[in-house]
Amino acid sequence: MRPSLGRFGYPKSVRGYAVQAPGAPTLDVFSRRTKWLQKERAARDAETSRKVDYVRDEVAARLCERLLDIKRHFPHVLDLGANACNIARILTRPNPDSYSAAPVYEPLSSRVSALTAAESSRSLLHRDEDLPFNNEIAITRHLLASDETLPFAPHTFDAVLSSCSLHWVNDLPSVLTQVNNILKPDAPFMAAMLGGDSLFELRTSLQLAEMERRGGIGIHMSPLADVRDVGGLLQRAGFRLLTVDVDDIVVDYPDSFALMADLQAMGESNALAGRDVPPIRRDVLVAADAIYRALHGNDDGTLPATFRLIYMIGWKEAPQQAKPLERGSGMVSIKDVLEGQRTGGKSGNR
Amino acid sequence: MPQKTRPVERIAAAVAKCPHESAAYGKCVLADYNNMSKDKCLAEFLRLKECFTAAMKKR
Repeated sequence: MRPSLGRFGYPKSVRGYAVQAPGAPTLDVFSRRTKWLQKERAARDAETSRKVDYVRDEVAARLCERLLDIKRHFPHVLDLGANACNIARILTRPNPDSYSAAPVYEPLSSRVSALTAAESSRSLLHRDEDLPFNNEIAITRHLLASDETLPFAPHTFDAVLSSCSLHWVNDLPSVLTQVNNILKPDAPFMAAMLGGDSLFELRTSLQLAEMERRGGIGIHMSPLADVRDVGGLLQRAGFRLLTVDVDDIVVDYPDSFALMADLQAMGESNALAGRDVPPIRRDVLVAADAIYRALHGNDDGTLPATFRLIYMIGWKEAPQQAKPLERGSGMVSIKDVLEGQRTGGKSGNR
Repeated sequence: MPQKTRPVERIAAAVAKCPHESAAYGKCVLADYNNMSKDKCLAEFLRLKECFTAAMKKR
């Protein structure tokens, strides 16, 4: 069959539309199945798993402290990526502000009518089901089929909290958008995630050890989000009135093996997708321990490990919400304020 | 549940028995860690490994 000819004798070109795949193409950095297996295995040994809750408990406590600043009652709160329901347990503690001399608060749980704890690992989610704190807060455990799809109706929650779980999410923009969607207008999203230079001591020691022993480096630690990215991510997801800050928790370990064993018991081992590297060789482990000690070790022989937490707060947009002032409408020069402070307070510069 | 010693604990215990060798190796790596190459501290590592292997066998 001859192609039909156009006006000038050339075949009429047929044009298709340039179509983009629905949604942005996403690359899976982490293997969700690997992570799920690690969490399940870790939680099966409940006793060991509870022993290594120190990081999650501390982070959950610091996150919940921020709830004190919001003078509200929360009818329905979601704990996204609940791990072992650490947030629920912290909420029922009588005084969440452990560093303040202020009088003992009512437990924060008195301001939360219902808490939904969502998590994809069944064993971890139900690990502490029988502990007494479950009776002090109306908690519903919700098993997620996937960490990255939230099966909740829009405008469901009065606050969404998330502690130590967002760092395993592949498609963070999508999850944050979904969180924004399930929040009621003018409701806060507060999260803490591991990021940036977390465990840089272990990372650098392993890299040096592998370079010295084997002449190259393998990827034994998963990448983490950077502080600088988080603000942009929240904004992209449609959150307003953003607050992002960073906090380091430094834990001292007797040796690097204890650190790695604890990470494994937390279910926080490396979960990179396409991880075809074999386990780290024993030679490298021994070398890395020596290097860790020489490079980062404390004077008393312990090894510090830094957990860097990125805390973020974003509010869902609402018409009556406070808004930032117009650009250029400021009446006080921040320069004057800062300089005034530096020179010991100039008088009359308001 | 019977407590069994995990392999990682055995390694940790064996490494702990070689503080001098470990420190010597660490010092060697630290001396020029911006310019690391394979087997730069081979002699120190072999001494550490010898001590470590002996400690692993002992128990």
